[in-house]
Amino acid sequence: MIRTLRHVTLWAALALSLAAFVYCADALYGIHRDNDLIRQLVSGKDTTVNKVISGKPELRLARAFYFKQKHRYDEALSTLSLIMDKGDRNFQAKARYNLGNLYLEQAIQQAKAMNINEAMPLAGLAKQLYRQSLALNSGNWDAKYNLEVAMRLLPEMDRVDMPDDEPTKQKSQLWTTVPGFPRGLP
Amino acid sequence: MRIVLIMVLSLLGCSGSIDEPVSYFNVETPRPFGYVNGDEIPQRIIIEIRSGISLQPGSLPAKGQINRWLNLNQVTVKQTGQRYQIDLLYQVFYAPLEVKSLTLPGFTIQLSQGEKSIGQNVPAWTFTLSPLRELVVRQTEQGEYMRPDSPPPLLANNQVLYGLAASLSVAVLIAAYLAYLYGCFPGMSRRTVFKLALRKLAGLSKADMEQALTVVHHALNSLNGQPLFFNRLGEFYRRNPEYLQINAQLAWFFNYSNRYFFSDGMIAVAQDLQQLKELCEQCRKIERGSQ
Repeated sequence: MIRTLRHVTLWAALALSLAAFVYCADALYGIHRDNDLIRQLVSGKDTTVNKVISGKPELRLARAFYFKQKHRYDEALSTLSLIMDKGDRNFQAKARYNLGNLYLEQAIQQAKAMNINEAMPLAGLAKQLYRQSLALNSGNWDAKYNLEVAMRLLPEMDRVDMPDDEPTKQKSQLWTTVPGFPRGLP
Repeated sequence: MRIVLIMVLSLLGCSGSIDEPVSYFNVETPRPFGYVNGDEIPQRIIIEIRSGISLQPGSLPAKGQINRWLNLNQVTVKQTGQRYQIDLLYQVFYAPLEVKSLTLPGFTIQLSQGEKSIGQNVPAWTFTLSPLRELVVRQTEQGEYMRPDSPPPLLANNQVLYGLAASLSVAVLIAAYLAYLYGCFPGMSRRTVFKLALRKLAGLSKADMEQALTVVHHALNSLNGQPLFFNRLGEFYRRNPEYLQINAQLAWFFNYSNRYFFSDGMIAVAQDLQQLKELCEQCRKIERGSQ
């Protein structure tokens, strides 16, 4: 009786481990295929939408990366907005950083064309996203740098006044709120 | 003498160390320079209070935005007895044009003793923040220089690989064991013939000599693949030359067995059984490959 039971258990365990093996092999193949898609998108070749929609958020991030490369901002924006809260902290920080870049690039273009009213909200959104990204992952130097770019483009409205700050600096407050970069020293 | 005693007592009363609500207070902060936009600044406050006094957690700064350029991301309070360790994690978002001095605001920790409330001040902490960009920014072909997008990460396959390796190893092990049980490794079973025989012999005494002899005969037969008799030993040695070294003992065994089974009045003695066991041990060593 015990011997029969042992045999049945062994066969069942064998079947189970083989099933696990097949499942893992299938998952590995799926990951390999998805990674190929990501590489393809990063290298600038588009792929069918269905493969991306049904897949992991990383695929959407790659597709947004592709749209951004091709300057298709609206599509990149809608793709990134969908995956903002997906994945782990690092992934969320990455998605927010890329979305911030999208807004900042447009803000810079608008500021260059002197469309100040369009540039200001875009820079504001970019700053907000960089802050969120840095709150999730404070070690991202690119986000720190670009946040500074956005902050210089659209300086903060209230100044941080230290007690030892000279009161003569009050004058400069007027022009620091206008978006744009200083183009040279006097 | 009385005057001295009064003086000592009054001095003790003046020291106040017993009555102070806070017996230890320290604020630990890292270096006060070299921070940049987006950096996190940890601050640790250690406070030890007298028993009977409790800390009001509501008096600690709340998580969230403190002012336009400062966020408090994390507040952790660890209590061990009357010792509190308060860890605050600030994050600064400020883009200075030059190295700029900023201050983490101070606050008051409220301690309560019954209805009485005592405040412990945490002082403001000043540090300097450095810019990341030069004042006159460089230009690229696309215009303003900014850091590029972060490339999408490839999907990690480590866990799946581990799963694959684990399931495959388990399947191979179980399959090998099943194959062994089903007799697919005939070579392996031969290596345990004398092991099993020795185990059986261990439980036998000289009174069970018949059984003991049968056990050894059975072991030799299964090794030979067919019944082994004294006159076929030559053939046996040809197939298993390593047993030639115990030829004398095997010859003794066959003679003894012959006499035991086919002569009358044969009495088994303990020494015979011992000799039989020794033979079996020698065979075991040979089958194991250690002789």
